[in-house]
Amino acid sequence: MTADILARNNVTVTGRGTQPMLFAHGFGCDQTMWRFVAPAFEEDYRVVLFDYVGSGRSDLGAYDPERYGSLEGYAQDVLDVCERLDLHEVVFVGHSVSSMIGALAAREAPDRFAHLIMIGPSPCYLNDGDYAGGFDRADLEGLLDLMDKNYIGWANFLAPVVMKNEERPGLTRELEESFCSTDPVAARRFAEATFFSDNRADLAEVPVPALVLQCSEDAIAPDAVGDYVHRHLPRSTFHHLAATGHCPHMSHPEETIGAMKAYLADAGLPA
Amino acid sequence: MDPLLDTAPCGFFSVNDDGTVVRANATLRNYLGAETLVGHHVDALLSRGAKIFYQTHVFPLLRVEGEVNEVYLSLRTAGGDDLPVLLNATRHTGNDGAVNDAVVVPMRRRNQFESELLQAKHAAEEASRARARFLSVLSHDLRAPLSAINLAAHMLAEEALGPVTDAQRRDLDRIRESSAYVLRLVTDLLNFSRVDAGRVTVRVRATALSDVLDRATDIVEPLAAEAGVAFIRTPQAATGAVLADPERLQQVLLNLLTNAVKFTDPGGHIRVETEETDDLVRLHVRDTGRGIAPEEIERVFEPFVQLAQPDDAPRDGAGLGLAISRELVRAMGGDLTVESVLGEGSSFTIALPAAPAGEPAVS
Repeated sequence: MTADILARNNVTVTGRGTQPMLFAHGFGCDQTMWRFVAPAFEEDYRVVLFDYVGSGRSDLGAYDPERYGSLEGYAQDVLDVCERLDLHEVVFVGHSVSSMIGALAAREAPDRFAHLIMIGPSPCYLNDGDYAGGFDRADLEGLLDLMDKNYIGWANFLAPVVMKNEERPGLTRELEESFCSTDPVAARRFAEATFFSDNRADLAEVPVPALVLQCSEDAIAPDAVGDYVHRHLPRSTFHHLAATGHCPHMSHPEETIGAMKAYLADAGLPA
Repeated sequence: MDPLLDTAPCGFFSVNDDGTVVRANATLRNYLGAETLVGHHVDALLSRGAKIFYQTHVFPLLRVEGEVNEVYLSLRTAGGDDLPVLLNATRHTGNDGAVNDAVVVPMRRRNQFESELLQAKHAAEEASRARARFLSVLSHDLRAPLSAINLAAHMLAEEALGPVTDAQRRDLDRIRESSAYVLRLVTDLLNFSRVDAGRVTVRVRATALSDVLDRATDIVEPLAAEAGVAFIRTPQAATGAVLADPERLQQVLLNLLTNAVKFTDPGGHIRVETEETDDLVRLHVRDTGRGIAPEEIERVFEPFVQLAQPDDAPRDGAGLGLAISRELVRAMGGDLTVESVLGEGSSFTIALPAAPAGEPAVS
């Protein structure tokens, strides 16, 4: 089974260092989102990129709706990749929901991880009493409606064209488009797992040191949420970026790289 | 703002990577009922669900690929209403850095239409799941008593409980045949409900075609001989390895071969042959049977559809065999197709990926 994981998760390994830096993409995209940041660490680290099953160029044949109905299933992907490549002392870099996925993986197998770098984390997107996650259930239903309508064209028109490719029947579900071309069923399930999860209670159980990178004016993970993560993660460092939005590694890669390197240097790691 | 843009019948705005709106035309301001948009964050233009979609899909796509097309988004008006729009955007780099230009066209009526389509799609999917659940429960509940009836009739006929008369034995045989027939139907239903619900697991691995064909031949050759039909297996049909689940492949092959026997008149023949390309193996099951009418050929893989039976033949099966077979082959990464000429015969083709050279094949 292990031989298949590299293909299953479309794992790519680059870099000249020995300590692994594992980049985990967020909901909606794939490993391509790291193209502006990951190269900056190739000199000092063994850089590992992958796609969660159901995203990017992962093996859709390995998709199991039950496993990927919760973030634990995605955390298992992270652990599978770590085990397959025999990674230890991993610096895990997760964007958005992958911050919590990394936290769950680190809670499960703390010995694998040296540090977590969380970009725009949120343990719970839903408002709940005094906790302001940022969204009500109706907002998230609105997101699912948007996804349905944007993916419906994909599902109805593109997929049959691919499936008619009789010369390559084994590739009927492999899409040629890479970025954001996620299977609609898997994408919806990922959205539900992401936005309806409540992992606040898990934060206290993460024993690995972590950097929380909080963006300015982030509508998805507002300041109060980043602050909550920092306060409840036992060994966390908080850094507020000037970068606005939710994707600083794409909109402001230099500032993001700088913040990561400063943290790594403070931790005595190559930077 | 260019006067032409201000009067264009679509909204236009530019946003930088900070998310700040740097230009917006009058049409967009009118759409949103806003006096000014420049200087606001793009989030202020979007409904709450759309904020997430913009950050997780639209902006990353623009950043990496430089454009997005035909994205459905929901804007938020100054009055708090949602305005569904279709958005196209491109990215370019000017003196002031990267800017993303976007055009939006309202689509209220089309949005309503698509919502109804989606609702119908979801209802159909739920109905399909409910049908699969019903079939699965029904099939499970029927199998156990049917098996018990069959076993009891068998034991009685074998005189396990004492001697039986010839007349009693004939009736017991009828009970066994009928219960076995219904059991086959129920098994088909159960298999179909599993396939339909996506609960069939296939374990694809390099599979020696000759072994699968050998086992199928052992079963079908006597049936063909009894029906007066010649069974021909061409020499090249025994070569090669495919990526398949050997048990599922055998199930599909047996279904095709027994169909061929059933629909081929005495004196006809069934021919099994293969055709290989670099990355694909096609296994053909050809018969000289009555063939399929052009108007029926598209429907043969639909569930609960039966081909026209021979005139004197009893109705046999629930019309699920080919539907199950095609889904199984597709689950293995291949496809099952058919060509036919009415009155001349049919040719069913299983296409599967060839196993990589050097990979040991299982039997």
